Amino acid sequence: MATNEAAAPLRILILDDEPIVCKRLKPAFQKLGHTVETFTDSGQALARLGEAVFDLVITDLKMEGADGLQILNGAKASSPATQVIVITGFATLETAKESYRKGAFDFVAKPFKLRDILDCVKRIEDRRRDLPADSGS
Amino acid sequence: MANRLAQLLTFWRPPNEALPFTVLFKKFQSILERNNLILELMADMGDKLGGEYIFDGHYIAEAAEKLGDQVFKLISDYSILNQHQNADLFVAFERIRYAIQEELAGHHILTGGGPVAELTEIGCEQSELAGAKMATLGEIRRRLELPVPDGFVITTRTFFDFFQRNNLFDRTETAARLWQEQALDDLRQLSEEMQQRILAAAMPRRLSQQILAAFDALAKRQHNRKLKVALRSSAWGEDGSSSFAGQYRSLLNLGRDELIDAYRQVVASAYGIEAWRYRLGKGFLENETAMAVGCQAMVQGLVSGVLHTYAPQAAEGAMLVNAVWGLCAPVVQGDASTDTILLDRRPPYPPLGVTVADKPRQLVQAEDGGTRWQELPAVLRKSVSMNPAQMEELARAAMSIERYYKRPQEIEWTFDRDGRLVILQSRPLRIHVEAVAGQGITEATRDAEIVFSGRGFVAQQGIAVGKVFLVENDRDLAAFPHGAILLSRYTSPRYSAVMPIAQGIVTDVGSPTGHMATLAREYRVPTVVNAEIATSLLKTGDEITLDATQNIVYRGNIGALDRFELIEEEVFEDSYEYRLLGRLLKLISPLHLLDPQGEDFTSAACRSYHDITRYIHEKAVEELIHLSEKQGARSLSAPKRLTTELPLGLMVIDGGGGTTCPPESPAIAPEQIVCLPLKELLEGMGGMGMWCTEPVAVDLSSFMSSFTRTFSATMARPEEIGRNLVVVLDHYMNINMRLGYHFTIVDAYIAEKINDNYIYFRFLGGVTEFIRRSRRATFIARVLAHYDFLVEIHGDLVVGRLKKLSQQRMARRMRMLGGLVGYTRQLDARMHTDRDVDHHVELFLQTMQACLGE
Repeated sequence: MATNEAAAPLRILILDDEPIVCKRLKPAFQKLGHTVETFTDSGQALARLGEAVFDLVITDLKMEGADGLQILNGAKASSPATQVIVITGFATLETAKESYRKGAFDFVAKPFKLRDILDCVKRIEDRRRDLPADSGS
Repeated sequence: MANRLAQLLTFWRPPNEALPFTVLFKKFQSILERNNLILELMADMGDKLGGEYIFDGHYIAEAAEKLGDQVFKLISDYSILNQHQNADLFVAFERIRYAIQEELAGHHILTGGGPVAELTEIGCEQSELAGAKMATLGEIRRRLELPVPDGFVITTRTFFDFFQRNNLFDRTETAARLWQEQALDDLRQLSEEMQQRILAAAMPRRLSQQILAAFDALAKRQHNRKLKVALRSSAWGEDGSSSFAGQYRSLLNLGRDELIDAYRQVVASAYGIEAWRYRLGKGFLENETAMAVGCQAMVQGLVSGVLHTYAPQAAEGAMLVNAVWGLCAPVVQGDASTDTILLDRRPPYPPLGVTVADKPRQLVQAEDGGTRWQELPAVLRKSVSMNPAQMEELARAAMSIERYYKRPQEIEWTFDRDGRLVILQSRPLRIHVEAVAGQGITEATRDAEIVFSGRGFVAQQGIAVGKVFLVENDRDLAAFPHGAILLSRYTSPRYSAVMPIAQGIVTDVGSPTGHMATLAREYRVPTVVNAEIATSLLKTGDEITLDATQNIVYRGNIGALDRFELIEEEVFEDSYEYRLLGRLLKLISPLHLLDPQGEDFTSAACRSYHDITRYIHEKAVEELIHLSEKQGARSLSAPKRLTTELPLGLMVIDGGGGTTCPPESPAIAPEQIVCLPLKELLEGMGGMGMWCTEPVAVDLSSFMSSFTRTFSATMARPEEIGRNLVVVLDHYMNINMRLGYHFTIVDAYIAEKINDNYIYFRFLGGVTEFIRRSRRATFIARVLAHYDFLVEIHGDLVVGRLKKLSQQRMARRMRMLGGLVGYTRQLDARMHTDRDVDHHVELFLQTMQACLGE
């Protein structure tokens, strides 16, 4: 049986060059009380990562301009505690491995069930609860 | 006939061109594999519309590409098998693929649309043709079964024809420049000139004839020779993210003679200065402007008004109604005082407050056309214009519409002379909510009791708040209260009867690709299936909040969740990707080729990928028999008719070691079959004697004997059955069998080595009644699951897979499948209620246990 004890709200950045992905993920996280910013342009997202700290970044892999791995690097550079979930419609073993090697928390192939990504975020929340010292800067 | 001849000619080719049977059989197997893959891909795409998955444009393009690729290869495989060019199939394929590519490229194709369209033909898919307003009305009529004024639409096609014929588009493009330069006086002048040109433009004769013919047909339907109609604008983009409220003209109470001229006036209003500025200000391009015009029989409203389904500024949790005596127009235009009524948003929607206005006059239809004001007698002036029954009826309709569109709605309505509620128009209501999205939800859900979460599958996303109502039989279904949440042990397409009034659906058992799930998506009812424990934890009367987006069921009313959904930035079902996928599926999924015996079962009649797939599957089986007959003597023994008491029409092709029959013999006896899977299957299928000699309960044996009777009686004449085909080796069998309209495939390998053993079973139902078909699929799935098969149901299609059991256990299961195929043949006639499914499963399993000892 699931519990609904509320964790501290997360600051989440969502980046996908297809607006539909942002539009659908945003309300799902807002509903759980998290604050969400969405971007469809990776340059703008990268700039935003330079000026604000996020607990979680959900990014597409293949995009015009900076790709998902560059976003991953950017997120980790601005705040090592930031967790990154890579979502992609071009999932290969190689890109998955590379994402994990660079420190992605999870790698999710599109299309995915909303529930899957919510569970994934729940695991991040659980980990933050277990390791409070590590939770953001 | 020509086809026959062509086929004969094919076999006149020199023998060295013929391919060995083994190659052709491989093509045949490849056809079966592709066939399955295609059906699965189609089902996957359909699933995505339910909202459980996050998908993007890339997915849609990729899935369509993959599917097209498989269908193309399927036709190619078939062309090798039947050694024809199959131009009709390739042409059908290219036509569908072209349409799909055009959709993906963002080019809308106005398909099949004429200058006018009857309202009954219109739904949201036709919004390009009918404009948003009329498409919505068509949808409300079709999906929610609410009365709307009878009528037709003068489509955007007419608009384009009318404009092009009169060169009316030649100066519209300048408007954008004038707007950019803010040359408003010039724009005003352009607007005047444009309207004058439209009013003076000639309507092509062909168009006016069609419009008047539609008018005459409407008058006939209405039994009214002096029919009066209302003309209403229904433009692109109207009622979308911009409301255009009041920007375009509507004209009331028009006769036949005034129709064409009134059409010009409504269309000209698109270029009125206010409307044009509004469009330019919103960034609409000129090529995004097109206006359809709805033509509706006038409804003589006795009381009319406007309802807002959500009115937080007036009262939280309330609907707001403004009502007047007479026609609706004064409420919209705001030139009359109105009664103000607040209704609770929860069933039974009691009034929360009624403020009666002094209403000195009402607007009525004038006898000679148009409308006029009429003084009201003192007794009506100060009395409330709606009675409580009308309030409740209106509230029900309003909540159905809101639930369907997942947006607060602004609804224009009227009660006519017969006391019938008629929906005149509904559009999304823009609400500016200051509060931060998501605030309040965490608080609201934190302390709420979760009944269960993450159980089963979301078949249609959304939020439902309401009281649970358990449905176990047709009586319950008939008593289903408006606005309740349907709870049931099983899924059933019969529930579509209450989908227009249900808030949500939860079932213990079921699949997201089943019939009911498809219907729930059509009706957009938030639905979770296969939750396993729902009926054990919930009972009729429990108030719950079903969050079929996150897949959680809370106890109690969590209004915050409901409200959150109503103010979400974008409704999934309104997104471009959802609509695109829906349009593609319309090109892909519908099955028009239902009856293989029918005259229209031809390659040229294929209109969807599904049609092509079905056609090839059916024909491939025929072809394989045909081929092996023609060239059998060279590479293997010719197909032989199986002599059996069961009229199966079964032709056996022995690929090596499968039979002991001499090559020259035209027939084969069951004893001559060596192939283990076929032997067992036939044993199960025909072994009625075996079933009856087993010690079984009295009612069971009497049931079985009646079953035997039905079986042989309806299958007495083998020549009517057509030929079925089985290809055998000593341990391998591939059987393709059409019995009646059901198509069964069993592909099996059974030998000593456990790891090589498998059975693949596929059942596709035929042209029987939708509901019974689905019961039968459920029955088969449950039996297969009992025997350890991995089962998938996609609508009518049931697929069972079993691997790696011992030879003995595999053999028993083949025998069971034989029984199942025989049993199922007549089953749909017996499936009168959902309970029959339980009954038959039990009966079948008992019988099998008696026969197999397992």
